[in-house]
Amino acid sequence: MHKRHVTNKHRFIGFVLIGLLVYILSNTVDEWKSFQGATIAVYVVAIASIILLTGYSGQISLGHGALLAIGAYTAALTQIYLHLPVWICFVAAVLITSLFGAILGLAAARLTGPYLAGTTLALAVGLPSIANQFSFLGGEQGISFDAGWPPLSFGEAFTQYKWFFWITSLTALIMMWWIQNLLRSRYGRTWRAVKTNEVAAELSGIRLARSKVLAFTVSAGIAGMAGALLATTINNVSPSAFPLALSFSLATGAILSGVNTLGGVMIGAVALVAIPEIASLVADRWSGSESVPSLLPDFIVSVLLILTVFLAPKGPIEKFRSRHVK
Amino acid sequence: MFELINTLLIGITAGSIYSLMAISVVLVWRSTRVVNFAAGGLALASSFVGAAILEKTGSFWIALPIAMVAGAVFSAFIEYFFLRPLLKRSGDKGAEIFLPIIATLGLLGIIKTILNYIYGDRVGSLPPPMSDKGFVFSGESIALSPMRLLILGIVLLLMISLTLVFQRTNLGLSLRAASFAPEISRLAGIRVDFIRTVGWAISGGVGATAGILQTTNGSGSVSPESFEFSLLLVFGFVAAVIGGIESLIGAVLGGLTLGIILAIILMYVGGSLVFIAAFLILILVLLLRPHGIIGAKGGRRA
Repeated sequence: MHKRHVTNKHRFIGFVLIGLLVYILSNTVDEWKSFQGATIAVYVVAIASIILLTGYSGQISLGHGALLAIGAYTAALTQIYLHLPVWICFVAAVLITSLFGAILGLAAARLTGPYLAGTTLALAVGLPSIANQFSFLGGEQGISFDAGWPPLSFGEAFTQYKWFFWITSLTALIMMWWIQNLLRSRYGRTWRAVKTNEVAAELSGIRLARSKVLAFTVSAGIAGMAGALLATTINNVSPSAFPLALSFSLATGAILSGVNTLGGVMIGAVALVAIPEIASLVADRWSGSESVPSLLPDFIVSVLLILTVFLAPKGPIEKFRSRHVK
Repeated sequence: MFELINTLLIGITAGSIYSLMAISVVLVWRSTRVVNFAAGGLALASSFVGAAILEKTGSFWIALPIAMVAGAVFSAFIEYFFLRPLLKRSGDKGAEIFLPIIATLGLLGIIKTILNYIYGDRVGSLPPPMSDKGFVFSGESIALSPMRLLILGIVLLLMISLTLVFQRTNLGLSLRAASFAPEISRLAGIRVDFIRTVGWAISGGVGATAGILQTTNGSGSVSPESFEFSLLLVFGFVAAVIGGIESLIGAVLGGLTLGIILAIILMYVGGSLVFIAAFLILILVLLLRPHGIIGAKGGRRA
């Protein structure tokens, strides 16, 4: 079959269409659904950051929750102590988290496999708990982050969650556009070369360490943005918002999306938000005991995870594509 | 001075339990190149078995071995039914370690929800079988109690027997050979698949012991969302990585280092810095020695 060439123009149209769809959705859904939509947008950015690091550059991170935490705290602290506008807080979050990612990447570039997994895991457990030690980080209660009210010109009926939905999905769309371009650029190709075969990549003149550190830096920057967006949707930044479970569910989302294909990122993000919802509906229908509703989401996610690893290790999209080609 | 010795004693006890968990992680890594996050869930499940047996029989000395056997069976079950088919599918490339990690994370989630479903809010109780009142030295009680001695004794006994098994028996030789060169071992007539399952079983038994000791040394009761078990899982894994994930001695060294330094930080600096300290220790060790304290230098590249 003749393969249709997808140009950047087609992709741009695709992004605009998704944007339109989100716009229409935001006008029809209620407040709670807007909040969930915003959460999906946050997960999209966070999962994209993991896919960039693991799927394209071949480095493992079990600690992306910690990077999100850095982004969120940076945004909140910039707002509280420097009183800067919200969008500068976002930029600050990206910059500071990238800087941290660069430092972490310098260490990570020397590590492989289980060592890297262990380091990032320890980071995910350790970093959020610092907030309890220093009072300016707000301790267990955390600190607030206020992304502001929607402009008055949008009218009275425009709720705050709808506004958050707009901010997060617009940011997510822009980020995704940028990421997919980046992955198609020289850097993306370099990362994939390093992932596929380090020795061959080195022989072709790629500097391994530099490429890996760059991937970590970029991925951290994206995660920082996701953190700032997360802070926007929940209005608050506290250690309890970034437990180890967050890092694990982001990794889960990446696997459900297919860790090697950026295009599947929506699948994982939607799954992470939709599964608890569906599970509670199912549990309400056949409520056998009280503990079922609270346990079912975790159970379904875990089972899906194992099924994905077994049936579609390269992700649902790749699976579909390979079946089509054959 | 007294305080420092007490802190060290607490650190050594906690560290030796982390060492056991680290050994459990190391054994699985050596036999199948899988980072086993399900180990924490297995330790939890076998501790519940231990608690149930203790309730029935009233004897810690019956509960501990049965829990170890249960841990071994659980662990072998998981290897046989989940990891073996998974690794067969992905081919023994070893480069792709992300998928097995995710699979074991999924298993951890399933084990936890099942335990949560069975036990709910109930907790299994594992009180210390011996007095946990410290010995009295010149009028002051130190942090060394009969219970702590017992823990150290069990850990030491397990380590010595593991070393003997690995160095002096045919089984140990097969275990080492199967992890070092699976293809050649297969040609030499070793049933590599079976040996791998054995490796997982031993790991499960050791993990079960770590779980039970962690509970008796801590609060004395296990619950599915137990904080002690998250500690055990995270620090056990960090200890294994510090030690260089390949070596049993490395795991012990890693566990003890971690236990002692964390006890000192807990005592003199502040409780909320313990986790980040574990991260800093880890990254410091890995910057100096990227393959852990005792790790093959250069090592395998693929």
